[in-house]
Amino acid sequence: MADIVSMAEAVAELVRDGDTVALEGFTHLIPMAAGREIIRQGRRDLTLVRMTPDLVYDQLIGAGCASKLVFSWGGNPGVGSLHRFRDAVEHGWPAPLALEEHSHAGMANRYVAGAAGLPFAVLRGYAGTDLATVTSTIKQITCPFTGEHLAAVPALNPDVTVIHAQRADRAGNVQLWGLVGVQKEAVLAARRTLVTVEEIVDELTPMPDAMVLPSWVVTAVAEVPGGAHPSYAQGYSERDNEFYAAWDAIARHRDSFQRWVREVVFA
Amino acid sequence: MSADEVVASLRDGMTVGIGGWGSRRKPMALVRAILRSSVTDLTVVSYGGPDVGLLCAAGRVRRAVFGFVSLDSIPLDPHFRAARQRGAVEATEYDEGMLLAGLRAAAARLPFLPTRAGLGSDVLRLNPALRTVASPYADGEELVAMPAIELDVALVHLNRADRHGNAQYLGPDPYLDDVLCAAARRSYVSCERIVPTDELLRGGPPQSLLVSRMHVAGVVEAPRGAHFTSCVPDYGRDEPFQRRYAASGADPVAWQAFLDEFLAGDERSYLAAVDAFHGAAA
Repeated sequence: MADIVSMAEAVAELVRDGDTVALEGFTHLIPMAAGREIIRQGRRDLTLVRMTPDLVYDQLIGAGCASKLVFSWGGNPGVGSLHRFRDAVEHGWPAPLALEEHSHAGMANRYVAGAAGLPFAVLRGYAGTDLATVTSTIKQITCPFTGEHLAAVPALNPDVTVIHAQRADRAGNVQLWGLVGVQKEAVLAARRTLVTVEEIVDELTPMPDAMVLPSWVVTAVAEVPGGAHPSYAQGYSERDNEFYAAWDAIARHRDSFQRWVREVVFA
Repeated sequence: MSADEVVASLRDGMTVGIGGWGSRRKPMALVRAILRSSVTDLTVVSYGGPDVGLLCAAGRVRRAVFGFVSLDSIPLDPHFRAARQRGAVEATEYDEGMLLAGLRAAAARLPFLPTRAGLGSDVLRLNPALRTVASPYADGEELVAMPAIELDVALVHLNRADRHGNAQYLGPDPYLDDVLCAAARRSYVSCERIVPTDELLRGGPPQSLLVSRMHVAGVVEAPRGAHFTSCVPDYGRDEPFQRRYAASGADPVAWQAFLDEFLAGDERSYLAAVDAFHGAAA
């Protein structure tokens, strides 16, 4: 059964220095507020895992929380580079950042394998790219029937997965809908799970295309209305495209970023 | 299309995947159309029920690939059992999870997928064609390498479909019809009723739209097309008729009598004979 707690309590309890942490949500339902809470609590040496690290990881990297990034595609969607991510890779500021880069299909397969309790996944991928030469976790596996060479990727089992969802009930059953990415797989693959939600309700009424994560796969639920901003929660909020554009100037320089951390994250 | 037109596209020796599960939502009208045709020598892939039993009884199956063949309320399909005991069909028996891994591999156009299903069982000992594969990572774990089960054709029955092939289930369980259709080169959907596309969502939520038109080569409107298996909520299993079917597995005389009474004519005469069977019982 999931505990209903405050976000600060949940992060203090579930996210520890040195952990492998996945904050998932693909464009939609990105757990931005939880990312800022991790910054406030000063976590260090995290291995951050994510398909499409965008603003949420630019912030964590710039705040010095991360020592490694496991990812597929990094950028500010539709805007440009992540400047804090670049600064960490190019100049080691505020700390060096090790990289493990995959394709989206590879990352999704890694979560699926982790969720299924399998050690690895097999896919037709990475062929014709240089990723395998720079990412040592991409291996080749030979089909024992056809002799064909396929790509193998190792299962991902984060110490903690954090997601944002629309609703939970008081028992901690979580309901999310709309554009979902690999949240289900990332939750099932994780040892501990924190879900921030727009609202906690008495009963989860059926919603078209909704997915329910039962409370027994969720460690903690925290009610954080607007917790995806500037990402969005379908049925609750719209994507704040202006903030994504504004982020470019905030993150471009160390001092403007640090001012944002002081004035917004620690406000 | 008609069920007979679907079957006219089948060829002897094809590998045919049949949807549903046990004695539930089986594309029986399509199976009956195969019985009316001369198509034979089939490899049938199924979470099997009376679809497999009927085709075996009629001598149309060279090989059955299955996780089980059951009538649910009657544990074993007697026709399938008789065919196995006669040695009339070759059998490739998998664990249910292995079958799913094989279909998923075919659906993803991969030659195999690793799975734990089947480990520690005799399935690997009895099927020397199976292989294991070692994890290329430090764990080195040995897993079953489940070969892709590629289907020439998939046959499934759903509650509703539009004329483009978007098909909807309204019962409690999708079974694996969507995976079968994705694993097949061509898929045919029969349904209780063809409805306009915009009516589909009045009958059920978006996730009830199980099969997409991109996987479907043809749609057949076949009311009671799953009979005598269940097609909830349109109808449940016809248990008295299933018992009659099972009893016809006793010997060749009983089977011939069943054929003469129910399967001598077309689908309409089949349904009329079923109604007469119930009228006589009432």
